[in-house]
Amino acid sequence: MTYPLVSFKNVAKNFGKMNAVTNLNFEIEKGEFLAIMGPSGCGKTTTLRMLAGLENPSSGEIRFNNRLMNNVKPHERDTPLVWQSLALFPFLNVQENVEFGLKMRGISSKTRQKKSLEWLEKLEVRELAKRDISTLSGGQKQRVALARSLVMEPEILLLDEPLSALDAHLVIRMQAVLTQLQKELGITFVYVTHSQSEAFAMANRVIIMNVGEISQIGTPKDIYRSPTNQFVAEFVGRNNILSGKVYDIKSKIAFIKTNSGNYNFEIIDQNIELGNTLNYIISADLMNFSLVKPKNSNIVNCKLISEEYIGSMVTLFLESVDGTEFKIQMQEREHSKLNIQNGGKYWLSWSKKNVHTLKQD
Amino acid sequence: MGGFNTALFFDMKSNREIINLYSLTLRVPIIFWQLLFFVGPVLFMVAMSFFLVKNYRMMEAFEFINWTKMFSKNYFWDSYWFTLFIAFISTLLTMVIAFPASFTLAFRVSENFRRWAIFLLIIPFFTSYLVRTFSWYVILAEKGVVNALLSYINLGPFIMLNTHIGTLVGYMTLTLPLVIILQTVTMANIDKNLIEAAYNLGCKPYFIIQRVIIPLSKTGFIIAAIFCFILSFGDFVAPFYLGGSQEPTLPILILDTTKSGQQWPRAAVVAIVMMVTLFAIAFIGIMTAYSKSFKNDKR
Repeated sequence: MTYPLVSFKNVAKNFGKMNAVTNLNFEIEKGEFLAIMGPSGCGKTTTLRMLAGLENPSSGEIRFNNRLMNNVKPHERDTPLVWQSLALFPFLNVQENVEFGLKMRGISSKTRQKKSLEWLEKLEVRELAKRDISTLSGGQKQRVALARSLVMEPEILLLDEPLSALDAHLVIRMQAVLTQLQKELGITFVYVTHSQSEAFAMANRVIIMNVGEISQIGTPKDIYRSPTNQFVAEFVGRNNILSGKVYDIKSKIAFIKTNSGNYNFEIIDQNIELGNTLNYIISADLMNFSLVKPKNSNIVNCKLISEEYIGSMVTLFLESVDGTEFKIQMQEREHSKLNIQNGGKYWLSWSKKNVHTLKQD
Repeated sequence: MGGFNTALFFDMKSNREIINLYSLTLRVPIIFWQLLFFVGPVLFMVAMSFFLVKNYRMMEAFEFINWTKMFSKNYFWDSYWFTLFIAFISTLLTMVIAFPASFTLAFRVSENFRRWAIFLLIIPFFTSYLVRTFSWYVILAEKGVVNALLSYINLGPFIMLNTHIGTLVGYMTLTLPLVIILQTVTMANIDKNLIEAAYNLGCKPYFIIQRVIIPLSKTGFIIAAIFCFILSFGDFVAPFYLGGSQEPTLPILILDTTKSGQQWPRAAVVAIVMMVTLFAIAFIGIMTAYSKSFKNDKR
């Protein structure tokens, strides 16, 4: 029988009266790149610290390869962590930092030297071996911190928002380095972040957490296109969230009455009955924009409130007459052709196929 | 870019005169104070070490006799090495005794508890050191508190007054609270992530002190030790009242020298030797405290 690398069963952790996490149930498979994502205070760091043994769960079971780990001390585990602050030892030089873990394991100085240089080489910072930590740049420290953890050749590497202190262009580079390393080494990475772009760019699977509980587990695409509840839909991506009552169902098409108008969508495998109240979303990048009234059935007339530019994409924030918020994402070069102005009235439309219904909370 | 910098540079230059006048005015009192009460007396003491004493009266002169006399006396060197030795032992003992207390205050108690503890550690300084030293008579005397307690378990009496133990207890009365405060503040400021990182990389809990905490506390600990050494080395009260001047330390030697035949010039020689020694030790200490890297057992 094969067991998952890590399994959490009904794990909870409270600090005094405060519940940091409750009801954690998930498994981590060998070789996957798992991101744990959520707003600050959602319990993602506590979860990671429990993996490293820096916190003991208050209840539930954490198993590594089916071995119960609840009370195994951090120094008896093989779970190196890359810290948000990097936590490099300032009194040791680069190579001594990388050798630290091996030295604690009682590995001979010759092997330590060889291995540390090997890993510094792999992370392209070998020439810094004799340098003082204080003389390194942010990106270099990052690589040294990674080398210090990876030199232990662990089965699982834990990363706690390691890129949050870097400049934007360095983040992109380090993302590439990390994905490449993870693929090459086949080590399981558990990556905690509050950044959607980091999680989605690197992970095979993402856990979304909210106030100490798991909101959804899935591939980045699952989570992006099919969020299961309102929290995920709001936290991830740019989604238009509509809620209304089903007033008619005809040949697999549901007709909904909402505050901003009457719309319809195709029922795929949802169990929808007449009279149901439900929430559903349309991703902002699946909306269409037009200056004149389109002939579709799912349309709404909106006033433009504001615009946000991120790279080559523009997100427009609009409001319908009844005050429902809508968002639409489009290419910047498309946007610039249209001569759009704040306060102007425009039409939004979407296909009845591009709708995703949410579970009721 | 270059143009901007040049403009700024010239701007500063034109303002320099005014700034100089201000800063000079503000500096005058401290310069005056230092000259009058530090540099002046030191220079006078140096000059005095070349004076002569005839018929119990000091006469201005420029003779090396005081220096050669003192340096050729065995009792001077005995006293010098003994003072160095006992100040060193005092520093070592104080640092070691203070460490468990500081460690507990830095890592094992709440921040609030630590604040109160530091406040309480300051209280001894409210009372004169001399008074605190005398209170040890009651505790350490042959029929004092300690021996009374020990007699219940059929031990003692131990003679502690007028011994080196008395001297060391006196030194610690002066230095222990200060050293605990300095060590605590140093360790409380350590980045806890570094301790966890060592733990995470397989460092066993009892090695954390040696591998992480001490290297990170190096500067603070050396400064605490320097304070402890300087205070012990120059202290007159503890070796005189609690140590019974059995083996005279340099401060006692100074007193004796001035008393016997009004030999102020020779006392000045002792004082200068003490100052030079402390300067050297403080200088080396500070240099080590701030030196770049700390190698805890290289390979």
